[in-house]
Amino acid sequence: MSKLQERATANKWSSMSGKKPPSMGDIFRTTFLIVVSLIILAPVLWFVLSSFKDVTDLSSRPPKILPTHWAFENYTEAFKMYNYKRYFTNSVIVTSIATVLTLTINSMAAYAFAKYNFRGRDGLFVLTLAMIMIPLQVILIPIYLVVANLGLVNTYWGMIIPAAATPTGVFILRQYMLTIPDELIEAARIDGAGEFRIFARIVLPLCRPALAVVGIFSILWRWNDFLWPLLIAQKEELYTLPVALALLNGQLVVPYNIVLAMSVMSIIPVLFMFVFMQRQIVQGIAQTGIK
Amino acid sequence: MPYLFVAPNMFIFITFIIWPAIRGFQISFFDSIDGRTFTPVGAGNYRTIFGDPTVASVAKNTATYVIFYVLISTILATALALVVNEQKFAKGFFRAIIFLPVMLSPVVVGLIWNDVLDRKVGPLNSLLEALGGGSPGWLVEPKLGMIAVIFVGVWVHIGFYSIILLAGLQGIDRSLLEAASMDGATRSQIIRTIILPLLKPTTLVIIILSTIHGFQSFDFIYTLTGGGPLGATTLIVQYIYDRAFQSPIQYGLGSAAGVILFMIIFAFTALNFLVGKKREAI
Repeated sequence: MSKLQERATANKWSSMSGKKPPSMGDIFRTTFLIVVSLIILAPVLWFVLSSFKDVTDLSSRPPKILPTHWAFENYTEAFKMYNYKRYFTNSVIVTSIATVLTLTINSMAAYAFAKYNFRGRDGLFVLTLAMIMIPLQVILIPIYLVVANLGLVNTYWGMIIPAAATPTGVFILRQYMLTIPDELIEAARIDGAGEFRIFARIVLPLCRPALAVVGIFSILWRWNDFLWPLLIAQKEELYTLPVALALLNGQLVVPYNIVLAMSVMSIIPVLFMFVFMQRQIVQGIAQTGIK
Repeated sequence: MPYLFVAPNMFIFITFIIWPAIRGFQISFFDSIDGRTFTPVGAGNYRTIFGDPTVASVAKNTATYVIFYVLISTILATALALVVNEQKFAKGFFRAIIFLPVMLSPVVVGLIWNDVLDRKVGPLNSLLEALGGGSPGWLVEPKLGMIAVIFVGVWVHIGFYSIILLAGLQGIDRSLLEAASMDGATRSQIIRTIILPLLKPTTLVIIILSTIHGFQSFDFIYTLTGGGPLGATTLIVQYIYDRAFQSPIQYGLGSAAGVILFMIIFAFTALNFLVGKKREAI
């Protein structure tokens, strides 16, 4: 290849920043991404379409792509039967209370770590971060025994409290609070504001972006969480959506078309969050590497 | 006052993480079938873990899953991040699609793929049949079951790792790439000799994170295969769960498996921390 041709290829490379007509690379990349997108979207779409099929369509072979008759009754039936409203309400209760609790206690701890000097501060902060090393899966059996001894099995609090303190939440909020100038807090103290008032009225409002990130992650995680509620909710009245879906799917009592409709409904709130808060979610992950 | 602020958080950590962790270590030296009466067995549970054929197959499944999951996730996520980073047309759209599965409930993901991979009425097999292939029993044959679980594991998390790698790519100094391209380097040369080496710290983080995630996998497998066929996709977390809720109930043995899982996760988290430190130092 002559020097000149080399230059020409090199120029194509700078399409990274420039505005040129589509190159071979552009076509290759777009094709690759379309294939990947299909592998991701097709199963989800298939699943959603299945949720509109009746029992006959679901067992037809070869399977039909579109329902012969759109079985909206799968959805109305789901609402009427199988305590669907109960599971949905349970998920809402656990997710919302747990998120409020997480935001409250995590921001309190974060504030102490960011803005106070006290004995044992650094040690307690390291201890907080070290909790990342002990995920639920590792202490599954002993934590179950502890929670059972405290009488928290089959209670909402049992589902909510044990996982409410999160090391990552404290970390994200503390990093954010470090950027708040101390003078602001000092000034409020001189004006005679109490410590808790300063925290609630001055610091928290300033931390809104960080609180949003921690809140979004808490909502997503709690809504989709399975292992913990599976351990705690052993009575059907307390099942959250994921627990109900997993356990109902195993039984033949509940028709599969109803399970499908319930599954699709359970992912709609999350999809809404995704559409409206994609930026915060993506940035949160890129910065912390934690989901 | 500061102690009051940290108290609620610390109380939960101590009651629901530290105390159970200590208890778990203790219980791992006992036998118990009801969680109330404990019979000391010394290191018996650990001997069982390293000698019992059932546990050995769980260990083998977990190792197979983690190795392939980490390898495929890392390579594919790097490729995706490189491609998305340079994509001009509908970049945000593709990024959103790749990220979508991360948001889905793992339980539902298991149900989705259970539906798609169904031997008789699943769309994948009807597609394969139309193309002249057979209709493999994805969720019926042990080997294929493992392949399905690895594939779905990658499918779920790939977006998560791509996002982190994408952030790493965006941190690379543009002027380096432009200088290289001025000097006549080709695209693949630039990727191989500049981008990938500079991305190495982030790639290392992905390898470590995906290893930790791999060892913790449980929920989507529960609804995809339930650990079957014939226990072929039973990984360590399900094994621990089963020791508390499925017969034979063996709290001590399950706790010992938990201790071993802890040591694995501890090692990789510590490694991640060290790598992070080194990254900051640079």
